[in-house]
Amino acid sequence: MRAISLKETRKLLFTPLVENNPIALQILGICSALAVTVKMDVTLIMCIALTSVITLSNFFISIIRTYIPDNIRIIVQMTIISSLVIIVDELLKAYAYEASKQLSVFVGLIITNCIVMGRAEAFAMKNPPIKSAIDGFGNGLGYSFVLIVVATIREVFGAGTFFGLQVMPESYPVNNFLLLPPSSFIIIGIMIWVIRTFSKGQVEENENPLKAHTFKPLVVKKEGVDG
Amino acid sequence: MKNLIVPLLACIACAVIVSFTAVSVRYEQKLNQENEKKEKILAAAGIKTGNIDEEFSKIKTLFFSFETGELVSVESGYDHIKAASNAALSNIVPSKLDIAIIKRQEKIAPVYVWLDETSNIEKIVLPIRGYGLWGTLYGYLSLGPDLNSVMGIEYYEHKETPGLGGEVDNPNWKSGWQGKKIYNSEGSVSLKVVKGVSKDDYEIDGMSGATITSNGVTNMINFWLGDQGYGPIIKKLNEVIE
Repeated sequence: MRAISLKETRKLLFTPLVENNPIALQILGICSALAVTVKMDVTLIMCIALTSVITLSNFFISIIRTYIPDNIRIIVQMTIISSLVIIVDELLKAYAYEASKQLSVFVGLIITNCIVMGRAEAFAMKNPPIKSAIDGFGNGLGYSFVLIVVATIREVFGAGTFFGLQVMPESYPVNNFLLLPPSSFIIIGIMIWVIRTFSKGQVEENENPLKAHTFKPLVVKKEGVDG
Repeated sequence: MKNLIVPLLACIACAVIVSFTAVSVRYEQKLNQENEKKEKILAAAGIKTGNIDEEFSKIKTLFFSFETGELVSVESGYDHIKAASNAALSNIVPSKLDIAIIKRQEKIAPVYVWLDETSNIEKIVLPIRGYGLWGTLYGYLSLGPDLNSVMGIEYYEHKETPGLGGEVDNPNWKSGWQGKKIYNSEGSVSLKVVKGVSKDDYEIDGMSGATITSNGVTNMINFWLGDQGYGPIIKKLNEVIE
């Protein structure tokens, strides 16, 4: 197996952070980004869970990539991903009980997280195991980065706390809108805007530009004025 | 052939690993759940520090029948929540009476009792549950020696929206229950969660933005402390006290 250079490793690890962020650029995995970003501690556990699942799933899928028959590859990938998710879920229930209760179904839903599937399909099926694992870890970091930013904003300005500790003055009213999932949509939207302001390369070409009005005005014949 | 063997091998390998993990952490998981229930029972009764097992050993767990209100004995390891989904150990609650929307009620439920030196009741904890907005809330309600004034309430499982209905876990809200009265002078359940701030001993502060959860809490108090629930048992205990 060819060793991976430091430069390559760095590229695999850090491009998914901002340049090719799975949430902000590829718009994947939004569902859990909305659901588990109310409290910082829960968010962190979710980030660790997803990062470990995506790293290991990339690694294992890459190991058997040459044996996976092409026409049923998604099923085999799903088998591996879902097994890893169940293991993570069981471990959380045993060793991080409080957080696992708050995450409830969202740990299980990592199975359907498009980032995990996407990296397995796009990267692990074509690259050697170690490289795939690093890529998975990098994408996990990219996901975590967005979630942590969203959770920080939501917890500090929503509930007035950070990691459950009061940071806002006691009189700070609870901002219900920020505590409800739709607020993450807006925060992620603003993040995408900020990121694209600084890296213009992410701005997509406008596929459906607004065109100037091209209709000819309808000529209506006036009635009852003849002869 | 490859289409068959590769997924088969992958499935077998995954199944072995998953079941191995599940079995090896089962003990920890069960311990967590039991510990949490004990912790919440103690917290409802106002005991928030100290060793859980040590504090819990001071409690007498008595089992009562809802049908007769009598003290009964049960097999060790009896779980009243599990019993509620067992046809032989539970009754269907008539929908007209089922204000807490629990559907099935167990025939026998535990009451956790603290006795003082002269073996008078110091406080009791009753398991309660009922439907909120997104799911059933499971919790414990603690009553003082008069079996009427509330000592505390704790929920150990619920699916309410964090920050709104999830405020049932807020210590400030829970502390508002202390000293409130369940039964009015005529003996009917009068405690309820109101909108806004409570004005007397029969009202609990409402949770803003969580009307349905608040109503769910009111309903479960009405159900479990009324005639369908612990009402007759509490009456019997009161007679014993007098």
